[in-house]
Amino acid sequence: MYIYNEVDQKIVDERVAQFRDQTRRFLAGELSDDEFLALRLMNGLYIQRHAPMLRVAIPYGLISSVQLRKLAHIARTYDKGYGHFTTRTNIQFNWPKLEQVPDILAELAQVQMHAIQTSGNCIRNTTTDPFAGVTPDELEDPRPWCEIIRQWSTLHPEFAYLPRKFKIAVTGSPRDRAASQVHDIGLHLVQNDAGEVGFEVLVGGGLGRTPVIGKQIRPFLAKQDLLSYLEAILRVYNLKGRRDNKYKARIKILVEAMGIDAFRDEVDAEWEQIRSSELTLTDAEIARVKGFFQPFEYDASAAADTSLQQKLANDEAFRVWYERNTHEHKVVGYRSVVVSLKPQLEPAGDITDLQLEVVADLAEQYSFGEARSTHEQNLVLADVKNADLYAVWQQLAEHNMARPNIGTLTDMIVCPGFDFCALANAKTLNIAEQINRTFDDLDYLYDLGEIRLNMSGCINACGHHHIGNIGILGVDKKGEDWYQITIGGSDREDASLGKVLGKSVAADNVADTLKKILETYVEQRTDEESFLDCVRRVGVDPFKEKVYAAAH
Amino acid sequence: MPLLIDRQIVSDDSWQLVEEADALPQSGDLLLPLALYLEQGATLGERRVAVKVNGDDDLAPVLDALDRFPMIAIEFPIFRDGRGFSLARKLRRAGYQGELRAVGNPARDQLGYMERCGFNAFQFADEAFSEEFLNAFGEISVRYQGSSDDPRPVYLQN
Ligand code: SF4
Repeated sequence: MYIYNEVDQKIVDERVAQFRDQTRRFLAGELSDDEFLALRLMNGLYIQRHAPMLRVAIPYGLISSVQLRKLAHIARTYDKGYGHFTTRTNIQFNWPKLEQVPDILAELAQVQMHAIQTSGNCIRNTTTDPFAGVTPDELEDPRPWCEIIRQWSTLHPEFAYLPRKFKIAVTGSPRDRAASQVHDIGLHLVQNDAGEVGFEVLVGGGLGRTPVIGKQIRPFLAKQDLLSYLEAILRVYNLKGRRDNKYKARIKILVEAMGIDAFRDEVDAEWEQIRSSELTLTDAEIARVKGFFQPFEYDASAAADTSLQQKLANDEAFRVWYERNTHEHKVVGYRSVVVSLKPQLEPAGDITDLQLEVVADLAEQYSFGEARSTHEQNLVLADVKNADLYAVWQQLAEHNMARPNIGTLTDMIVCPGFDFCALANAKTLNIAEQINRTFDDLDYLYDLGEIRLNMSGCINACGHHHIGNIGILGVDKKGEDWYQITIGGSDREDASLGKVLGKSVAADNVADTLKKILETYVEQRTDEESFLDCVRRVGVDPFKEKVYAAAH
Repeated sequence: MPLLIDRQIVSDDSWQLVEEADALPQSGDLLLPLALYLEQGATLGERRVAVKVNGDDDLAPVLDALDRFPMIAIEFPIFRDGRGFSLARKLRRAGYQGELRAVGNPARDQLGYMERCGFNAFQFADEAFSEEFLNAFGEISVRYQGSSDDPRPVYLQN
């Protein structure tokens, strides 16, 4: 992974001192609420329903054992002993004290971490494939490009007061595991006819009140032009994006209003001016950053292991976990392990201080000292030897992180909702629990196969409900929590927005409604047809009929 | 109104902001909103004129006549409106060498970024200024990306 040099360290250290002074001036009444709001947001600090919330950056989801232990320490010392992983692959703490935040940031800086630009109207954490660098289906490792973008976008003096937040995702594989099509900019590493690798560039995707799938603005961008092109897009957006209405301020609205062709012309005109400048990436710099992401020294004897097959044959629970919660690795003899943060009775994405330490230890012992966070709110140990999988599973199981539900209905993405979030319209955690209790039969879940269920507590869509195969959106009806259900969304390479099933359902009826939806799927599906494919083939109507017929 | 130029507190400011054509004084340096300048510029002969632009303005006529203006003021109407940062970069990129002044509501905690985008002057409302603002410039001493202050990214800086 990327290791800080003196400059990187100085930036985070000076940033801590800067924020300490801003906090001091705010508490002394020298800084207005409005100014401190924008400044603290750029440092990941929100004021939530109960307390401040601090969001710590995990650049493109890559984290070391040392850093995980520091997060555990922060959870224990400054919070109530846990943290929460977000769909931006960051972690947030729900109970820090405002006056202690500078100290937390100072602790983070000791392990090359920070909270810079984890919120606010600026360029946010760049996200990528959690299997980057190890998945066999990859064209090229996207992480060096994420790091290059991280450096360019960090404390960018021009783009700190954008019309609205700005999110970039990079993928290196034809399989999209980063929801790149619903980002302000999606970058796909692709090969052109000449065999060169560059980027397909999408722009104007996003969720929230107006969900939009990103549009292609360039089929192929040469690698060395990456930053000049990004800067051109950002400059056009900064100058032209709407600032009169925060719900119309994202770049997607600008692109829709101008039309993609006119927007492209505008970007190209700007790009022409800066294309041949110091923004052009040098081969030496690309090589330097790539040097931090070289493949590990894998054990050549790992492939010869036979113990795994034996364990799989003898231990049914292990076999089930292996099938659901591990992922193919490009090196024979290794697998990537998904650490499930979707236990039955805890909020999705939550992790305790002890669990953080367990993952840190497992990473250190079995996976080259690194872990990744995923946008589905799980963790990944990317490089585990086949022979070690059993031991890893046992440890994870002991600490409630081995629920074999990855990719199934209960591997839900769930935002914190009304229990924590000041913007929420409805609770989400109770609904997730209801679903977990109703669908606790694993064989049934496996029979249903891959289903992405996403839930948000309001239209801001932090839980990505539009792009869940099943999406649940909390709405407020005369002070009561109701839930609108969509089906047919996808966050993959075939991204699509879900269609509304019908009128919203009461809180008590959510799991029952899902049952009817799933029964309909089982009735309608052809052999091997996934839920998503089935909905796409038969449309919403059969589901609608089943759900609402029964209600009369 | 308190004014910083090149990180120094300056007490004399010759520029008189004039918002209406019929209020144009006979002599002295004029600071005109862009629209008024476009209307009256031709009548001003050799007088020293500066323009004030904001994010809604079309920058093209300013870019076409950069040599005409010893000073250009960019307005920051509210704290969160960041268009002025990009306007400044465009002007510097076009080769503008004169004074680039942030007016309206530049905030202490934006000064460092503003300077990096090419501003060298900042004007504040009386009650909004404190000498302590001078500390704002040195808070972050290193930078990853090139900008108007130094076009080189970090890896080309040494
Ligand atoms: S979707 Fe709404 S309720 Fe959920 S975290 Fe986002 S803002 Fe809060």
